[in-house]
This record gives sequence, structure tokens and C-alpha cells, in this order.
Amino acid sequence: MSYLLTTLTTKQEVDSIIRSTIDKVLVLRFGRASDSVCLLLDDVLAKSARDVSKFATVALVDIDSDDVQVYVKYFDITLIPSTIFFFNAHHMKMDSGTADHSKWVGAFRAKQDFVDVVEAIFRGAMKGKLIVSCPLPPERIPKYQLYYKDV
Amino acid sequence: MATLADSFLADLDELSDNEAEVPVEDEAGVANMEEDVDGDLADLETLNYDDLDSVSKLQKSQRFADIMQKVEDALEKGSDMSNHGLVLEDDPEYQLIVDCNALSVDIENELVIIHNFIRDKYRPKFPELESLVHHPIDYARVVQKIGNEMDVTLVDLEGLLPSAVIMVVSVTASTTSGKPLPEDVLEKIVDACDRALALDSAKKKVLDFVESRMGFIAPNLSAIVGSTVAAKLMGTAGGLAALAKMPACNVQLLGAKRKNLAGFSTATSQYRIGYVEQTEIFQSTPPALKMRAGRLLAAKSTLAARVDSTRGDPSGNTGKAFREEIRKKIEKWQEPPPAKQPKPLPVPDSEPKKKRGGRRLRKMKERYAITDMRKLANRMQFGIPEESSLGDGLGEGYGMLGQAGSGKLRVSMGQSKLAAKVAKKFKEKNYGSTGGATSGLTSSLAFTPVQGIELSNPQAHAHQLGSGTQSTYFSETGTFSKIKRI
Repeated sequence: MSYLLTTLTTKQEVDSIIRSTIDKVLVLRFGRASDSVCLLLDDVLAKSARDVSKFATVALVDIDSDDVQVYVKYFDITLIPSTIFFFNAHHMKMDSGTADHSKWVGAFRAKQDFVDVVEAIFRGAMKGKLIVSCPLPPERIPKYQLYYKDV
Repeated sequence: MATLADSFLADLDELSDNEAEVPVEDEAGVANMEEDVDGDLADLETLNYDDLDSVSKLQKSQRFADIMQKVEDALEKGSDMSNHGLVLEDDPEYQLIVDCNALSVDIENELVIIHNFIRDKYRPKFPELESLVHHPIDYARVVQKIGNEMDVTLVDLEGLLPSAVIMVVSVTASTTSGKPLPEDVLEKIVDACDRALALDSAKKKVLDFVESRMGFIAPNLSAIVGSTVAAKLMGTAGGLAALAKMPACNVQLLGAKRKNLAGFSTATSQYRIGYVEQTEIFQSTPPALKMRAGRLLAAKSTLAARVDSTRGDPSGNTGKAFREEIRKKIEKWQEPPPAKQPKPLPVPDSEPKKKRGGRRLRKMKERYAITDMRKLANRMQFGIPEESSLGDGLGEGYGMLGQAGSGKLRVSMGQSKLAAKVAKKFKEKNYGSTGGATSGLTSSLAFTPVQGIELSNPQAHAHQLGSGTQSTYFSETGTFSKIKRI
């Protein structure tokens, strides 16, 4: 867990942060402090938080708390860490060649990858798009398998 | 002043043997000396130079004696600061100090005159000495020591001069073109040297006295630079009022040594700074900041001198406050710069890209511009099916290219707009000089270096295709016609 990034544990906090970031991309990481991949991701986020501070805000959400289970269900978060992007309270989707466009699953390979993704989201959002395509080459995108239950 | 006028006349008429009428005063002597620099040397020698007394009168003057007496009394008495009234100027000691300041300036002038005298008299003996030893008192001492001695190596100059200078002096003396002096001249020289040294010691006494009273005269100034330096500054400036009137840049240079000896390196000589160099604050600043500190000190001490000259703050608190300020500023200069924080990235697309323009860019764009051939190929005439590369509507269409009515199959490269401008300028330069009256031999044909001679004006074609307003659907040259195609 990074000490530089704010951790949110209640639904109210999540609500308020979504509503209060205006004209900036909001990056919410859903995950646990104990997971190794989460730690990797947190490290990258903490280091780049200052660099993107002019157009993005980064926050961490702990999925173990009961309050935020509503959001976990809503966004269908099953694999951690999952990162969800918002812009002016709109949920931004990103097509990175994976199955799920509404979130980013896994860690980033490098700081620059994260900055590129946030910039792509920002540009798309400023143009008025709700879904953007990922600027990273496929080898830098973490792959995962989704298993559908009862579908 | 009749004698002054007479002596001027004497110079002009070059009636130089008027030694009898020349017991002139001090100022006349100085004025004549300055005139005679480009005048005759004969005149110089015949003027009063044989007698030191006529040149340097200060020591014999009553004023000098009075003031020196008072100074010595006061020095013996010790400092007595208890009873200065509200109006300082009435205090006799203050008056004495003012007199001392004036006297010290006079002494300095006197010293210069005596130095010149000694130098001129000693020149036949050792001419190079004056360029090696600049300081008047040092010069007088050296002359006194050497006397009429031909072999300078026998003379012990230790303690009078730095050893490097002693070495140079001995070397020069061995090759000097001087001759020993006659006895009477030597006597005069020794007398003059004694005079100079006595004046120097008198000046020192006066300065000591002023220094001891400095806390009383100028408390603010001495709070900043210290009483020694304050006394020196006041002495050189000629009084507190004079010091207060000077701008700070002049105060900085009071007491600066003028030139370096020829042949010695100027690498060590710092930029001009005078008595201010001897202050405690200056000595304790690191060498990199010395110049700035010197300027700052001079500025603040000028302000303090101004406060003192109007007796604005007899307690000296202003001076102490200035000193504190100076100390703080110097400390601040020595702070390391704040650590550089990495800047956050700028918002994407917030800064518009700087588009360049100009001739170079236009020429570059021309290389990728649509050619006239392509323009023709893109357009089609109404009602006429276009030809195509593979025939029958397959392949690339040719559009207006090669159609009847457009003029020709082969489309020549029309002049680009840039080349058109250049051609026009070229034409004006060469043919415009004929002015209004055109000769019968000029033609309206366009000779351009690009294409050589063309009977048709190529600019017309460029026009035709370039502008979108002129339509080429309806041909300019031809009419409606039907041509059978085989």
C-alpha cells in the first residue's frame, strides 16, 4: 500500500471523490494491500501520481471493506487489481484488445505505460468520447481469462 | 597675484631667466607645474624648484602647527565624550575634528607636491625608481636610504619594500643610466625626504585622533565599518559632509590603490575597492561574494554617513541596524538553492502547437502539392465519358487529361505561384528600368529561366487550373463539339 495515495474505504468517500474531481481523469484502483500484483501496480501509481497531477487524480479503493461491495458488484470486479477510469463522473471505457473494456485488469509494466493510458483517456474524454482505444502495444497489456458462469 | 601674471607672461614669451621674480606661492607653483608639462624643461628648472620651502609651505604654516598641537593635547587627554550638547557644531572638539579632516586632505596634497619635488631632483641619479616604487612615502624612504650610493646592492632595503620589488630595484640600479648627484642637491633631497616623513607621521597622528573620536562624530558609520576605516574614509573625503555628498560608488573607491607595477601580474588585483576592503565584514566574506559585499557595504555606509552628517541618530542604532541587515544579506547569499522538484507533466493538448510558416515551409509544401496533371485527371467534362487506363471504365480514369478542348494531351507544368512571384521580380529588375517609355523591341513574351522560350504565356495556364472560380467544364478555347472516337 502506498502512503502517498489516498485509500478509500466507504461508499461515501468513493462518491465524493467521483463527484469532486472536475476536468481531471479519476483513476480508482480496486484491490488489496496484501496482493503482490496490487503492490506492483500501487508502486507505479504512486510514482506517477505527481507527474499526471495536472490532469489526473489517483486513489485506491480497498475491496475488503463492506461498504464498497456495491461498487464491486456494479463494476463486476472479479480479478484484482482492477483500475477504473472516470472523467467528470462519467465512466470511461478503454479498448485494449481484452475481453473487458470497462476496466483495466492487472498491473502496468512501466510508469510510462500508465501515463500513456491516462493521456489517451484524457484526450478522448476532452473530445467527448466515452470509449477510447489503448495506445499500448499488445505485448505490454496484461492478458487474462474471463470465465462466464451461468451465461 | 602680480607675480603670477608675470610668471605666466614669462612662460609665454619664453623669457626664461626670470629666476629673481619667482618667489611665487603654492598654488602658482602647482599651476605652473601643470602648465609646464608640455612646456619647456628650461622653464621648469628655473622656477622655484631649488628651494623646497617655496613649494611646500604647509609645514611652516601657523595653521598646521596649531592643529597639531591641539591634536596632541587631545590625544594625551584621552577621550572625553560626556558633555556634548544638543548642538554638536558648537563643541570645540567637533570643530577640531572638522579641521583635522581638512588638514589631512591638505597634508595629502602636500605630500604629492613633495614627492614630485624629490622625484624630479632624484631623476638624474636613478630615473627608473619612480616607475618601480609608486607610493610617495615608500619612494621617500628608499631615496633616503640609497642617498648617493652607486651600488644599490650594498643598501639594505629590507622592511621598506616587498622583497620582489627590492629585487627589481637592485637589478634596475645595476643597469641604470644615472650619475651621482652634487652635494647641495643631495642635501635638498634629504631635507625633502625628512619633510615628507614628518608630514606622514603627522597625518597618522591626526588619523588616530579622529579615529578615537569617531564614535562621537559618526556613530552610525563606525557601527558599520569600524572606527579605523570610518576615520580613513572621512579623512580622504575631506569631512563628514563631503563624505555624505558622495555617491556610494565613489565611497567604494575611496582609498583604492591605483596602478600595478609594470611587469607584475594583474591576475591578483581585484576590482577596484578602497578602504572598505579593510572592514571586518569584508574580510570575513567568502571570496566569491566579496565584490557584492563590497558594494553593499559602500552603499549602507554612505547612508549611515548621511544620517550622521545631519545628526539624525546620535545613538548609533541606525548603524547597528544596517550592520545587522548586511550580515543577514550575506548569509542569505550563501544559502544553497532550493532543491529542484520534478515538474508534473503538462495537460495534454493545452499548449497549441507552434506552426511555422514562411518561404521555406511553402517551398517544402510545394513538393507535395497537387500537380496540374492530377487536377485535370480529377475533373471530368459533362457528358463525355472519360478515358481510363485499362479501357472501358476499368482502371484509373484520366478525367480531362488528353480531352479535346482542354488544349493539349501533354500538360506542361504551369509555373508554381512562388516561381511566378520570382519571375515577376526578375522581370521588373531587368526590364523595369526602361521606365514608362517602352521600346519597340520589347515583347510580351515571358522569358523565364525555368522553362526557356515559350511562345504561349505559361502564366495563363497556371491561372486557369489554379483558381477554383474559373470553371473548366466549359472549355475556354473550344466550343461544343462532337468528335468521333474510333
